[in-house]
Amino acid sequence: MEHLTHDTLARLVDEQPNPAEREHIRACRRCAEEFRAFRLQSEALGGLAALRPPPGDWESLEARLVSEGLVRTPETFRRFGVAAAPAWMQAVAAIVVFLGGTGFGLALTKGATPDELSPRSLPLPLSQISSAEEAVRTVELAERAYMQALARYRQLTGLSDGSLVTDPLSLLTALEGLLAASQEAVRLAPADPVFNGFLVNVLAERQEVLRQISTSRDDDWF
Amino acid sequence: MNEAQLLRKACQGDGPAVRALYERYSPRVYAVVRRIAADDDLAQDYAQEAWIRAIRALPTFRGEARFSTWLHRIAVNSALQAVRASETRQKREAPMPESLAVDPPARDALLSQKLEWALDRLPERMRKVLILHDVEGYTHDEIGELLGTTAGTSKSQLFKARGKMRVLLKDLDSSENSVSRNEGKEMEAWSI
Repeated sequence: MEHLTHDTLARLVDEQPNPAEREHIRACRRCAEEFRAFRLQSEALGGLAALRPPPGDWESLEARLVSEGLVRTPETFRRFGVAAAPAWMQAVAAIVVFLGGTGFGLALTKGATPDELSPRSLPLPLSQISSAEEAVRTVELAERAYMQALARYRQLTGLSDGSLVTDPLSLLTALEGLLAASQEAVRLAPADPVFNGFLVNVLAERQEVLRQISTSRDDDWF
Repeated sequence: MNEAQLLRKACQGDGPAVRALYERYSPRVYAVVRRIAADDDLAQDYAQEAWIRAIRALPTFRGEARFSTWLHRIAVNSALQAVRASETRQKREAPMPESLAVDPPARDALLSQKLEWALDRLPERMRKVLILHDVEGYTHDEIGELLGTTAGTSKSQLFKARGKMRVLLKDLDSSENSVSRNEGKEMEAWSI
């Protein structure tokens, strides 16, 4: 008896057998088993699961999307001049900026004036980051920008010389940027306790500044 | 946020919205591209290219088809074009794919590995047709259109591909059984 060919069996997965083929499959155990195997094979192929992309795929895709201008850069990074930086660089920036802020910043900026910390005085071109060295310099710039705001904050709260300034918005702006940076860091590493801690601290500090601004306005206007 | 809102935001270049779309659809995009490419490294490149194209073309998406269908078609086209462009590439003796299936049941995981292994070893034209038809559910007319051939050619390639798969899987099972016998162990090899 001549067995059915693989081509025929493969065809019968989708199409009805003719009477001769049907009779053959009924009579021939070997072809019946092969036919069953072909059907199972196609069913199994149809049930193949989706596949996870390799780790780091999103980060690399995101960098490409940003570099092609298809994804809008978060406001923070535009402001701090790291618009084209890849995600890992942004996360590092978020950490360093925050370390430069809060307690550290208050200590480091003691005695510094806003002009001494002005980002305009730094030599780095903001939109041309292409190496790790440039990234480090950019992070330094971001850190200084925040410290400048902290210096103003010291003036605002009377820590420096007791005189208040009436422009608290510079600090709030820096904090908004810092908040966005922290949120970006948390988005990149949602389970990271350090990033989450930063975010909570920034939110608390921002809340406090808003409260102080509100109080200051009450004092000024009423 | 529903899909329409996500798409609207992604269209405006909103990073988190694009990320959300990626999280939702990247396994399916990567899977089809990986199977067409038959290579992990190339698959990542092709999948990223597909995403770039999709995000770039997002403003032209009118919602006539489902977004998943539209994106899938872009991924398939992108992978087919890339494979075509790299005709000179050497067929590699690739190891079992390292890609992780999305939550496969334990028994199916072994079967899936065997199928992926065999798919990687099919001649390119057969592999494309088999993946598009049996894995992705495209019709022969659609495959003909995608591959620039006829529905009849697609059918004929499909039957050959199924036959070749069958042989590859049979050989794999016999070699596994032979190893198992030699070691004097009972092995429950799943044979199709």
